[in-house]
Amino acid sequence: MSSPATSLDLDLQRHTLGNGLKVVLRRQAELPLVAVNLWYHVGSKNERPGRTGFAHLFEHMLFQGSEHVGTNEHFRKIQEVGGVANGSTWYDRTNYYETVPAHELDLALWLESDRMGFFLPALTQQNLDNQRDVVMNERRQRVENQPYGRAGETLNELLFPADHPYHWPVIGYMEDIAAATLEDVRTFFRTYYTPSNAVISVVGDIEPAEALERVDAWFGDIPPGPAVPPVTLPRQVPQGEPRRQVLADDVRLPRVYLGFRAPAYGERAWYVGDLLASVLSGGKSSPLYRDLVYERQIAQDVGVSVGPQEAGGSFTLVATARSGVPADALEEALVGHLAAAAAKPPDEADFDRARNRLLTDYYSGLQRLETVADQLSQFATYFDDPAGGLTEGERYLDIAPRELMEYAAEHCAAPERVVVSIIPRKEG
Amino acid sequence: MAERPRVDRSAAPPPGEAHPFRFPHFLRTRLPNGLAVVAARLAGLPLVSLELIAPAGAQYEPAESAGTATLTAGLLDEGTARRSALEIAATAERLGGYLTTGADWDVGYLSTGLLASHRREGLALLAEIAITPTFPDNEVERLRGLRISEIVRRRQDPATLADDRFQREVYRGSVYAQPLYGTEESIARLQRASLMSFYQGHYGFAGATLIAVGEFDPEDLLGEAEAAFGTAGPPGPAPARPEIRPIPLEGLRIHLVDRPGAAQTELRLGHVGIPRTHPDYLPLLVLNTLLGGKFTSRINLNLRERHGYTYGASSRFSSRQGPGPFAVQAAVETAAAAAAAREILHEMRRVREALVEPEELAETVGYIVGVFPYSLQTVGDVTRRLETMSVFGLPDDYYDHYLERVAAVTREDLREMARRHLDPERVAVVAVGPAEILEPQFEGMGPVTVWSPEGEPRAAQPLRAT
Repeated sequence: MSSPATSLDLDLQRHTLGNGLKVVLRRQAELPLVAVNLWYHVGSKNERPGRTGFAHLFEHMLFQGSEHVGTNEHFRKIQEVGGVANGSTWYDRTNYYETVPAHELDLALWLESDRMGFFLPALTQQNLDNQRDVVMNERRQRVENQPYGRAGETLNELLFPADHPYHWPVIGYMEDIAAATLEDVRTFFRTYYTPSNAVISVVGDIEPAEALERVDAWFGDIPPGPAVPPVTLPRQVPQGEPRRQVLADDVRLPRVYLGFRAPAYGERAWYVGDLLASVLSGGKSSPLYRDLVYERQIAQDVGVSVGPQEAGGSFTLVATARSGVPADALEEALVGHLAAAAAKPPDEADFDRARNRLLTDYYSGLQRLETVADQLSQFATYFDDPAGGLTEGERYLDIAPRELMEYAAEHCAAPERVVVSIIPRKEG
Repeated sequence: MAERPRVDRSAAPPPGEAHPFRFPHFLRTRLPNGLAVVAARLAGLPLVSLELIAPAGAQYEPAESAGTATLTAGLLDEGTARRSALEIAATAERLGGYLTTGADWDVGYLSTGLLASHRREGLALLAEIAITPTFPDNEVERLRGLRISEIVRRRQDPATLADDRFQREVYRGSVYAQPLYGTEESIARLQRASLMSFYQGHYGFAGATLIAVGEFDPEDLLGEAEAAFGTAGPPGPAPARPEIRPIPLEGLRIHLVDRPGAAQTELRLGHVGIPRTHPDYLPLLVLNTLLGGKFTSRINLNLRERHGYTYGASSRFSSRQGPGPFAVQAAVETAAAAAAAREILHEMRRVREALVEPEELAETVGYIVGVFPYSLQTVGDVTRRLETMSVFGLPDDYYDHYLERVAAVTREDLREMARRHLDPERVAVVAVGPAEILEPQFEGMGPVTVWSPEGEPRAAQPLRAT
């Protein structure tokens, strides 16, 4: 068995400012760039029913300017120096990041500190109205006008009870997006966008001690905020029998989604599940591809993945039918493969392939400074262990094949599945 | 920590001193059998990218055989003299690798990304599938079935429907009008013999290039490449490139692809552009970046930030050996589809008529220059740049002078580029969405044709009285 080792050096610096902002710094000077990455520990998980999609809409609002930065100036200032900036919202967090030429570090820190410390004075109804329209179009583009676009959120609606915050989609429901008010924006900002609820990572062609001084200069004066209200999760009980929903959509080929509750991201079992997903469907030589696509030719494609949610997301199998194959046949085949995975450990060849591929994926990601910075922020936010973000690939190395079998038996039992089938809408 | 220095928040802080940057050093050689080899070291992580490209793109397809290039490429790793399709996949994947074969308009490619410790095995595998593919009958039939199903699947995707219709209208009468993936009819007709013959005519090493980027010594890599590829190779000279001469658009033509009940409309607008080798390419790139090539471009700020019509709008001139398309794209609110098209035309006219603001040009040049190192972070990034140099015959020092050439572009150059290469009076507008709602919006803009997703033209419906 080959166990490729990383040549990554793990040197990094950590610091917490007086206002609670966690700072992670790392020198990586192959290119004259610096990546700045902020994680705020707030996502759709902190929303409530009837107000879904708010964390994401708020992310859009944070690009609309702050006291010293005009509307659209954030992107303009970053782009005119050759930088790249964006943000994203997830169930558990929201991140904001930019990669700029190394000599423009102050520019990135100015912009990020201005919106952390001086956001509210720039807030206008006009900007909110515009971004609500943009986000509604984003939802149309990603969900409603996308073939199979409703499947993901339907799966989570079945998998998590209505009072569980993973029940609703990160982008939110249309009527909730439309209902957001300026007062919602203000309250959300004051509650969650505080220095002590954030991490900033700075990675690239920097001297860490100097960069820390700059971070402190820009962020150190921002007052700390109140403690963030905790999220309570309902206790989950086994469902005991499959739950299913069939959706008719404007598609030509049926597709079936099978979902199971998954362990929390960061737990050993999560990595076992990720490895099992890769064994089952990672590549043309994987058992699911071989059987469903190559040999029986009942599927057009097949994939398995596990979501990285802080409170445990889903382990999901997806297969698209070939023309004329019903969704039920795919469901039966997928359930059969999971039963086989629960009955014996994977072949050594499949196991080796899956692990090598996960490592290639992991190291490929780390080629980008912004991914390194994001990993540091992620591991600082969730686990108070930024260095863990640079050694995550090693989490796969001491997993034994039989653990995959145990995972399938414990977490993928047939009665615990939820099934979403997307079928072609009848003509006329 | 020492006392906190004061910062001035009232304006953007001044930059520090710029750090130097150079395009990665690379070696180039040619093996006795004609294969060009380019190797660049990129240290840091244990990864290697290997790619073989050959003049086997879809532009060389004979008439009525759309899909030949992509299907031929797809069959290269489905069986060799030594290994079956599944054995090839298992070998590549055991190396931690992704093995991909495919074709665009210009080239066919075989590429793999793998862990650095496995690079010799990776080279041997690429050589095996490039030199001894067998095109087994059962694999031809299997891929044919998969491809036809894929073509059916693509018809449910509004963005794909828009791209396909746009390409058919802009490139009428030329090979670029055909879908790269073929049609159900053309794929059903393709014979194993014609795929073999396409392979023999287009994958000869005389026209091919191997590009290797990653953690290795480039001198070692050249030796290993010779060991793997040097002894044999498909024979034959590089094929002559065909002329691409589409029938010119006669005015503004609107094409609606009807998806009743769709939640949004996919919009495309544009016309034929220029070949990547055209001397105007760089100033035109600057123009397009300003017009629709970045978040703060005129088109995105207009459609997204001013009007809220869309989540994002962009434009590009695609790089091809022949005249690739100029296309603006956006997924827009259906009620605003024609309004969005008018705004795009307005932005095209505006850059033709008036000089851009000096700050706008400075911002755009600053973006292209500054983002260059960012676009060279990964083995894949560097591979793509080396591929661009190879496919378009750019000189080895092209990227050493690229940034100074971008910085030399003037406002007058941009207006001249806009006048030469943007034509808002002769464009194809494609909108994929509910025709019933779209058709009245476009009334008066130009002739409208309505199509079904299957590509059948539909007679225009009379407007309803109420």
